[in-house]
Amino acid sequence: MDYLLHVIIITGIYMLLTMSLNLVVGYTGLPAISHGAFYGLGAYTSALISVDYHLSPWLGLLSAVLVCALVAAAVALSSLRLSGDYFSLATIAFAVVFYSILKNAVGLTRGPMGLPGIPPFSFWHWRLVKAWQYVLFVAFIVSAGYWVMLRIVNSPFGRVMRAIREDVIGAEALGKNVGKIKLSVFVLAASFAGLAGSLYAHYVTFIDPSSYGVMESIVLLLMVVFGGMGSLVGSLLSAAVLVGFPECLRLIGMPEAVAAPVRQMAYGLLLVGLMVWRPEGLLGRYKWT
Amino acid sequence: MILQLLLNGVIAGAVYALVALGFTLIYRAVRFFHFAHGAVYTIGAYVAYTLSSVWKVPFAVSFVLASLTAGIVGVVIERGVYGPLRRRNSPALVFLIASFGVFIFVQNLVQLFWGTRLLILRVGGGRIYRFLDCVITGTQAAILTSAVGLALVLWTVVAKTRAGKAMRAVSDDPIAAGLMGIDAGRSISFVFFIGSFIAGAAGTLIALETNLEPTMGLSAVLKGMIASIFGGLGSIPGAVCGGMLLGIAENVGIWKISSVWKDCISFLLLAFVLFFRPKGLFGGAGG
Repeated sequence: MDYLLHVIIITGIYMLLTMSLNLVVGYTGLPAISHGAFYGLGAYTSALISVDYHLSPWLGLLSAVLVCALVAAAVALSSLRLSGDYFSLATIAFAVVFYSILKNAVGLTRGPMGLPGIPPFSFWHWRLVKAWQYVLFVAFIVSAGYWVMLRIVNSPFGRVMRAIREDVIGAEALGKNVGKIKLSVFVLAASFAGLAGSLYAHYVTFIDPSSYGVMESIVLLLMVVFGGMGSLVGSLLSAAVLVGFPECLRLIGMPEAVAAPVRQMAYGLLLVGLMVWRPEGLLGRYKWT
Repeated sequence: MILQLLLNGVIAGAVYALVALGFTLIYRAVRFFHFAHGAVYTIGAYVAYTLSSVWKVPFAVSFVLASLTAGIVGVVIERGVYGPLRRRNSPALVFLIASFGVFIFVQNLVQLFWGTRLLILRVGGGRIYRFLDCVITGTQAAILTSAVGLALVLWTVVAKTRAGKAMRAVSDDPIAAGLMGIDAGRSISFVFFIGSFIAGAAGTLIALETNLEPTMGLSAVLKGMIASIFGGLGSIPGAVCGGMLLGIAENVGIWKISSVWKDCISFLLLAFVLFFRPKGLFGGAGG
């Protein structure tokens, strides 16, 4: 039972990640491959604040969101001048450098050994250590996140996001500050990734660099594409299916040494198949341009 | 000391240049980032390992066979994945994402077959040459000479043969080339074969120096991309110079800081190039 609750919690965290990346990739049309890095940045910031400085995990969460926003602004300022493939490459570059820092800046991040003993969240003296409590907590945050993002994409701001995806020059000609809007979307999505990272770190209480490599960013991109470009409901669905599916492999008793590569191979095939037959994803309405 | 670092840089750069050559050649023909190039490189290295260390085939033979296998894998990727996408007129980003899919698939196929443990491929005795207080091992000398040889052969194929001429024609203008009776599909497959062949060769060569692991392709393809952007995407001399400069920058860079930061050095370089001269050194042809 606890195992099922664990899968539900992880699914919730991936729902936040996928929805927020969809704002960037699906709605605004920016092929960013750095979301896994922001997820890791959030997890590490939050964990380090509460482990090294003995501050409340809530302060950790807050600083995770702020640090992700700041770093995302710096990344966006340097990479948003590039278009298409080059933008993807620049964001991969960020993801690789970030991973290298996690692994090699041992003084700051403890390196490959990982960071144990992260305290859980607590409401006054009531610590969130039981899985069912955390399920409720994550469910609340995912719903709130969904509501906020839905409001954003249905607002005039969201309309401009879609306009940028459809026709950058057109949006500029209508007097929209395209650069500023791209920057805001990128920063917003990264803040949500930071939030997700913090939720993850204080739930599992141990993190290490291996979860935040470039592959993580690519898998998140896959989740967005699979669920549907520019569809928040698609992202919710996709996170549920793609997080749940590997667990089924485990349930049918496949050994982990086989299950891990088989799962990744299935992801790879899925990505290729989608690109050939349905590049806009399951529930998506918009094609890549 | 600085001379030794330069020499190490040139040797690392030679292998980067090979990967970049294949990458840039393919980019020139199809105009998208063939990310799965890294997976083809991994295949080359592992096939060479199995032939040479497990089946005891002479290294020169396994080198050729491994490169051929890589070449064939490249053509299979082109025919099986990119071909259908091209028929659907997909934009470049769709190709890039499909390419990630292929990369993940092949990398994990390698992991399934060979496992995650580090494998070691070593050939010949540890003969060491010295000159000007530099040290170069026999293996390194072999890597350097084969890389230069391959680059020259490649240049000859592209510049002097009929197939090379067709390749250049298709890269410049596929429609006009088609009107002249060139079979574009075949020509693109040929490009993938040649490009993947040298990627496989690069993988085999690097396997002599470092360990093999299934994830080795990621850093290779990223370095290859950086090197070719550095030299100007689509330019053959650019890829060679870009690879060399990247190798030298990384190895001279670690003179003052720890070698674990090699990757960061190359990406800082990339950021610098993208910021100030996105066309690269020999830019124009690739655009």
